[in-house]
Amino acid sequence: MIDVHALAAAVHLLGGSWQPWLVVLPGILIGLAVHAVPGLTTSMALAICLPLIPYMDFLQALIFMTAMYAGALFGVAIPAILLNVPGSAAAVGTTFDGFPMAQAGRHNEALGLALAASCVGQVIAYLLLLCLAQPIAAFAIRLGPPEMLMVSLWGITLIARLRGRHMARGLLAGVFGLLLGTVGLSVRGAARGTFGFDLLLDGIPTVPAIVGLFAAAELFNLVGREYIVDDRTRRQVNAGRILAGMRETFRHPGTLLRGALLGSGIGILPGGHAIANLLSYSEARRAAKDPERFGTGDPRGIIAAESANASSEGGSMATLLALGIPTGGATAVMLVAFGMHNITGGPAFMRDHADIVYAVILSSLAQVVLLAAAGFGFIFIAGFVVKVRLRLLVPIVLALAVIGSYALAQNLAGPITLAAFAVIGWLMQRFDYPVAAAVVGLLLGRLTEGALLRTYQMSGGDIGFLLTRPIALAILLLLIGSIALPYLRRGRPRLLEKRQGRIV
Amino acid sequence: MPSRPQLTIGGRTIAVDLPHLAFVTAIAAWCAWFCQDAWRAQKGVENLILIVPASAMAMILYIVVAASCIHIVPPQDHPPAAPRRPLAPGMASKIIGTMALLAAYVVCAPLFGFDVASFIYILTMLLLLGERRILVLVLVPALFCAIVIYCFNTLLATPLPLLLFPGDAA
Repeated sequence: MIDVHALAAAVHLLGGSWQPWLVVLPGILIGLAVHAVPGLTTSMALAICLPLIPYMDFLQALIFMTAMYAGALFGVAIPAILLNVPGSAAAVGTTFDGFPMAQAGRHNEALGLALAASCVGQVIAYLLLLCLAQPIAAFAIRLGPPEMLMVSLWGITLIARLRGRHMARGLLAGVFGLLLGTVGLSVRGAARGTFGFDLLLDGIPTVPAIVGLFAAAELFNLVGREYIVDDRTRRQVNAGRILAGMRETFRHPGTLLRGALLGSGIGILPGGHAIANLLSYSEARRAAKDPERFGTGDPRGIIAAESANASSEGGSMATLLALGIPTGGATAVMLVAFGMHNITGGPAFMRDHADIVYAVILSSLAQVVLLAAAGFGFIFIAGFVVKVRLRLLVPIVLALAVIGSYALAQNLAGPITLAAFAVIGWLMQRFDYPVAAAVVGLLLGRLTEGALLRTYQMSGGDIGFLLTRPIALAILLLLIGSIALPYLRRGRPRLLEKRQGRIV
Repeated sequence: MPSRPQLTIGGRTIAVDLPHLAFVTAIAAWCAWFCQDAWRAQKGVENLILIVPASAMAMILYIVVAASCIHIVPPQDHPPAAPRRPLAPGMASKIIGTMALLAAYVVCAPLFGFDVASFIYILTMLLLLGERRILVLVLVPALFCAIVIYCFNTLLATPLPLLLFPGDAA
């Protein structure tokens, strides 16, 4: 499975010169810092740094970009935990238990958990990639529209039942998000749901919508309070407690490993990095003996979301390197960097430049050590957010989010989307609808529509076509199982009680 | 704790969660309008393959959720408690004020410039949230504008519309 000659060449490439290593720390720090501003994304940071790429050699450029990506994948967790601002879809799952922990004065532990889970997730993902780069390439090429359709539906269904209490509200939120995701031009050029505004022809800007749904909506709830953490004695930033959080991560090896494996697997799919954290969170909650603790500040929630989020990077890189297909905005910008060096990603790249692929994987493994150190330092600075009065923090974060959304869209659509979705998000929270389901629907709307259309075209409307697609069928069974299992579990004790009642 | 509005029809008391019913009706209405708009734009399979079944699903779910907003209250019972935690006194006005100021800011900032709009927005928000120290009221918005606008326009090379300091970026 591992091309030993290429691996030896990769070690030589990395060990023979200090130049590739020069860009690692700046890359990680840029990645960490960029997500301090709600609305700024990894792809935006990568795009801003694109002019630097021609001045680097190809390997150095790839290492710089993967370092930035790695830093950003952990960076999104910091505002997600401290402010309930996910910054991107990749950190939505982290907010569920991260923010309740911060509100309970356990922000140090929560950030430590996120950092350790992120580092371990990345190590597992890159080790998998090192061993399985070639088979992954062969597998990824077999995934077609029916498989993508099933993954999308599975993702939305899992998230819709995340809160557990109101299944219908969860599904309605997911369907609402799915429809919102299809606003704009159709594949045949028909404008749908745009109210006549040209700005909406490309669809609803997703990042401002997510920031509005999660961040701004939560900030409305913080209006009138003095601090995120009410108890003064709990507002300290403490290195010992951050380390305790990091140690706590390793007390849940099952959650950690499941998250990392799920993230690596889902990460190879287009858009997978956005839902990996949510699927992992949902699975961790489903597998737990005490699922009711999730959402109240349970460390396992952070571990599940962050390990999957971080490991999805390895999956995304596998698809980028093996197939030359970007799975999201960040890898799309990386593909542009390929073009700047006149290199095309894909099976030929894997064959002809296996040494560079292995060098990127090895350097990414080494980056994790630097990420742990740089991330620890960054937590220490970012943790002081809990000491700032909310009357100062709320207007500053809202203004930053508006400016960030304008910078991203470069028109009014960004800020208006943010404000509109902030109100919708607050109302959804108020009436107990899972906001995450709407977000996942919004993210996957276009992808689901395209996959459904291509599946229809491939099958000619024959449902039996699915029987010829074993992977799609397996995901469909997983989907049905994940819906039915909680009901079966709930039903079994009742059945036993009834039987015992009859015997007595 | 406030109770839900109640109707008495034929001797039976019915409690209705009106705010929730209004919200879910608004979502369902948008879904129905969106489906109709897509249908009007183009009737082909390519355009409607997801939208029609998803909208139909939304309508079914709407009926289920709307039905859960209406409860028959047994005669011997006390009026049912509010289905949500009520807002603290004064919170509702502060939240509505925050929403209104945010709406005004997102409309005005790109039109009049982020420098002036951000300054006024943060100043007004600070006043709304109870800040009365003059130094904080002046320094916080001024520092925010200076740092953030410099970072976006110069370091990130992302031009923002500005009124007072347009420079090359605007």
